[in-house]
Amino acid sequence: MKTLPSQLDTSAEKYQQNAKQYAALIEELHQRLETAARGGSEKSRQRHLDRGKLLPRDRVNQLLDEGSPFLEIAPLAAEGMYGGASPGAGVIAGIGMVHGRHVLVIANDATVKGGTYFPMTVKKHLRAQEIALENSLPCVYLVDSGGAFLPMQDEVFPDRDHFGRIFFNQANLSAKKIPQLAAVLGSCTAGGAYVPAMSDETVIVRNQGTIFLGGPPLVKAAIGEIVTAEELGGGDLHAKTSGVVDHLAENDEHALMIIRDIISTLPANPTPAWKIAEQVAEPLYPASELPGIVPVDVNAPYDVREVITRLVDGSEFHEFKAEYGTTLVTGFAHIHGHRVGIIANNGVLFSESAMKGAHFIELCDQRGIPLLFLQNLAGFMVGRDYEADGIAKHGAKMVTAVATARVPKLTVVIGGSFGAGNYSMCGRAYSPRFLWMWPGARISVMGGNQASSVLSTVKRDGIEASGGTWSDEEEESFKAPIREQYENQGNPYYSTARLWDDGVIDPADTRRVLGLALEVCARQPLPETSFGLFRM
Amino acid sequence: MNTELFDTVLVANRGEIAVRIIRSLRTLGIRSVAVYSDADAGALHVFEADTAVRIGPGPANQSYLSIDAILKACKDTGAQAVHPGYGFLSENVDFARALDDAGIRFIGPSVKSINLMGDKIRSKNHVVAHQVPVVPGIAEPGRSDDQLLGAAGEVGFPLLIKPSAGGGGKGMFAVDTPEQLPEALASARRTARSAFGDDTLFLERLVRNPRHIEVQVLADQFGHTVHLGERECSLQRRHQKVIEEAPAPLLENLEHGAQIRERIGAAAVAAAASVDYVGAGTVEFLVSDENPEEFFFMEMNTRLQVEHPVTEQVVRVDGQKLDLVDWQVRIAAGQPLDFEQHQVSLQGHAIEARLYAEDPSAGFLPSIGTVLKVIEPTGGHLRVDSSLRDGLEVSAHYDPMLAKLIAWGEDRSAALGRLDRALSRTVVLGVLTNAEYLRLLLADAEVAAGRLDTNLIERKMREFIFRMPNARELALAAHLEVQRRPTSDSPWGQGDGWRLGSNLATQLHFEVNGEQLQLSVQHTAGQSTVNISGEEYAVQSLGDNGLSINGVRSSSHHAFAAGGTLWLSEDGWSGSVRRLTRQEILEAKLATLAKESGTFSPHVESPMPGTVISVQVSDGEEVSAGQLLLSIEAMKMEHQLLSPADGTVRMAGLAVGDLVKAKQVVATVEPVELERETTINQEQNA
Repeated sequence: MKTLPSQLDTSAEKYQQNAKQYAALIEELHQRLETAARGGSEKSRQRHLDRGKLLPRDRVNQLLDEGSPFLEIAPLAAEGMYGGASPGAGVIAGIGMVHGRHVLVIANDATVKGGTYFPMTVKKHLRAQEIALENSLPCVYLVDSGGAFLPMQDEVFPDRDHFGRIFFNQANLSAKKIPQLAAVLGSCTAGGAYVPAMSDETVIVRNQGTIFLGGPPLVKAAIGEIVTAEELGGGDLHAKTSGVVDHLAENDEHALMIIRDIISTLPANPTPAWKIAEQVAEPLYPASELPGIVPVDVNAPYDVREVITRLVDGSEFHEFKAEYGTTLVTGFAHIHGHRVGIIANNGVLFSESAMKGAHFIELCDQRGIPLLFLQNLAGFMVGRDYEADGIAKHGAKMVTAVATARVPKLTVVIGGSFGAGNYSMCGRAYSPRFLWMWPGARISVMGGNQASSVLSTVKRDGIEASGGTWSDEEEESFKAPIREQYENQGNPYYSTARLWDDGVIDPADTRRVLGLALEVCARQPLPETSFGLFRM
Repeated sequence: MNTELFDTVLVANRGEIAVRIIRSLRTLGIRSVAVYSDADAGALHVFEADTAVRIGPGPANQSYLSIDAILKACKDTGAQAVHPGYGFLSENVDFARALDDAGIRFIGPSVKSINLMGDKIRSKNHVVAHQVPVVPGIAEPGRSDDQLLGAAGEVGFPLLIKPSAGGGGKGMFAVDTPEQLPEALASARRTARSAFGDDTLFLERLVRNPRHIEVQVLADQFGHTVHLGERECSLQRRHQKVIEEAPAPLLENLEHGAQIRERIGAAAVAAAASVDYVGAGTVEFLVSDENPEEFFFMEMNTRLQVEHPVTEQVVRVDGQKLDLVDWQVRIAAGQPLDFEQHQVSLQGHAIEARLYAEDPSAGFLPSIGTVLKVIEPTGGHLRVDSSLRDGLEVSAHYDPMLAKLIAWGEDRSAALGRLDRALSRTVVLGVLTNAEYLRLLLADAEVAAGRLDTNLIERKMREFIFRMPNARELALAAHLEVQRRPTSDSPWGQGDGWRLGSNLATQLHFEVNGEQLQLSVQHTAGQSTVNISGEEYAVQSLGDNGLSINGVRSSSHHAFAAGGTLWLSEDGWSGSVRRLTRQEILEAKLATLAKESGTFSPHVESPMPGTVISVQVSDGEEVSAGQLLLSIEAMKMEHQLLSPADGTVRMAGLAVGDLVKAKQVVATVEPVELERETTINQEQNA
């Protein structure tokens, strides 16, 4: 395969300036991650420790193999929501290794509002289960939660994708032979009691974990019985009498060791669905140059091949249809030994670019090659000529191809993600196995300027049609809040808080993240394709 | 007599001396036969010899001390002679006789010489008659105070009054001048009478600050005996020589040392000649530091000594070095000594240090195990007589000496310096050695000045501080531990604890000299950042298997033993650290928890049969966890039986002096009910 030479001039002023600006964004990301990783307040963490419990991150670390990576899902969920009451949405989720097996871990953080479920907690929990389902990952639930966050019960309890869905998923994951394991390390009240109860194998910590449908206050109110939490649903009761749990542990470390022992009895990782190259060459150019390449202004042009050459093994790239539909770059490469088909924006999408994209997606699907989308586009081209050319139907081809491709899809939003471009480039609605954003990315139905212009044009037309006048000042004061709203809602942290993505990642981590994810994706066998390739 | 050298010689020994003998045999063109026990199947001497014979299981009395087994080995290999080395059968009359009977030459003196010199008292009485001085004394019972006073003049002062019935220094009196003697005798009588019921007293010259000086002699079968100068072995620990040198610093530091050397040498030759000695032997003398003119015969060793190399390094015969083993073999074969005393001279100074597998910081307990890695020092004027090889099993069956380092110098301080540097470059991983202790000893001012005596080590030992692994070594250990993780090219298999944000530091628990130490390490691709109580160390694997710490290349060596213990060595120091596994840490924690909470046995049992020696609590008393209930003496050890929990104790009614059986319940503790706070979900809206 040919290597993709870099034309980058790192001494150029433009590069230097951009690198500096982007470095500030990366610094912000790291600070946000660090803050969110602490979970609850110092006081509540101390109280947690005083009870002899491990902090949730330490629980995860002690569960995993030493030195194992942990591919965390949405660590900044609920960022900026609920008045900052729920850092990380009060739950840690991610993929790690236990006895050499990939497992999906969901750990409640009792230092954050007693580990109760806010709407985003539910969404994150369900997203993690979805990842487990799509990639056949055994699930480990480290339970320490008071159940639903009662003040917001209307947003967590009744709907399809609310609290009840967690147990629905557990039943159906288990039905698909995906092991469901739980360690009860604290409260497990009411609905929460079903997490261990619905698990295949369960551990509880004596004098610490409790499982009951109704806690002592409710029992007293309901039937007048006075009982301690331990008597009502403690480890001894459930291990020796009720049989709700299978293993009794003396402390957190012990419970985690038992879970590890259980995992050692599970089948080994399945054979990968595709061949993984044994020799992996690092890219010829360092990922540390990425921040200087990708402009902080998502509208500024640059060659996306400079990004590709810093992500792929040996910087080798076999480009497909290089001369056609040049605003979309397509081609084959390897990432950490996995063959991937890369689709990357290099400008707005025209009809040819969309057809090229559809063709390439079908090609990869035929060959069983996972797809990597590198999103950076303002959207599809607009205008009479393009509509007349049928850009809507050509765009639809690409969207159809994206929607129906059976191979795993991974999406990284490296710049703008606007309008229908988001759909054709495998946005969240197209169920990529994973979707990440870079700190400089933007996501919205259109840019703030376009949106405010569209809306002000409509308004001015209305005012002027009824004979009124609208001064430029009035128009500007109408447009400013719209721009501000788009600016705010298009921010990657707004996105990641709402689980529109699986996390904001440092560009320098992208190659590693993709490699980790591809290996997880390879766990699931590929279904058959049912169509031949349509040349567009 | 046939003076042809032997065709095949069996070496009835092991370790460094067997290796050393085999090498001399090879130089002489003689086929060598090694013998080995099962414990030594992988020992160096087995591989060094031309052929080797298994002579039995590990215990020496069934192998190296088995005359029958060795005789059989001689017959099986056609050995015409046996070199016994030192120790084992080297001074065994029965062995020498058995070899004679079998027509096999014993490379050593005659049965008669061994017999005469083998007994300390007999040998002293024998040599006195041949004008060899012994420590003067009177050891006849029934002498009155007056008789003793009269005889004290011949004994000389200072002298020691020893009760005949005493032992181990009990009831002994030192007397410096004749004037003090009458009174001292009177009180010695009283003490002896009351202590032993027998007031018989002996007198003996007191040699203060005794120096151990020994003379190497060599005699052929034709009555020609020479001496090869002296060695000083005054640095001893419990009669075990530690550092030996030639010539003696005592004589070197004296103006007329050469004359004394001549006199001692002549006395040694006289002692050897008095028993028609043949071969290499050593005559030991006690010399007073205060009056080196006087020396007294102690005993004669009728074999090659451990420390013979220092003699070989300094002795010149017409300017040439000499090999004592070579001469032993030639003399045994009937060849005459081809030089005279006047051709012998001494050149420079040689010092030997014995490297032992032992732990000086733990009372010199032998250290057994597998030697994982050996690097012996090399260099000019340095000789290493060694039994070491990678993979050597150091067993508890034999003397734990591993090697001898012998340094030569133009003068004593040059030799000392060379020896110290050699020790600092000695690497033995897998067992503890005394190398650090030897260096501490060599660094001592009195040792450097040559002011030696046999009690010096005992005095200095208290001042020696043996070092623990330092922070740099722990950082290295942490790096090596995380490097051991199985890794792969997979992004999941790199062992770096990758996280979004910054990678996870691994917490490592090390066991260092029985203590636990926690540190954290961040690791990526051959590089670690180790945090030890707030201090950071950057450790990096270099391309050539070397390591650097904070950019400086480390001179340490390391190896992992089976079981995960990491051995480290640097500048002559060596030690080990072991990382505790997650399982071990958990088990320790669970054991503590079991004591604190419900999962303990309420019954307190005697661990072994014994006698109750104290009862500390009474029945029904409130006790707390860990409180002493009663003590039992068993196997001469006191065992304290403690309460397993807080609660009320029910005693089994035992009293002091009662016998208990193993596992007998001596008390039962009814624990206080644990009141656990009910932890229901109260923090929901906290």
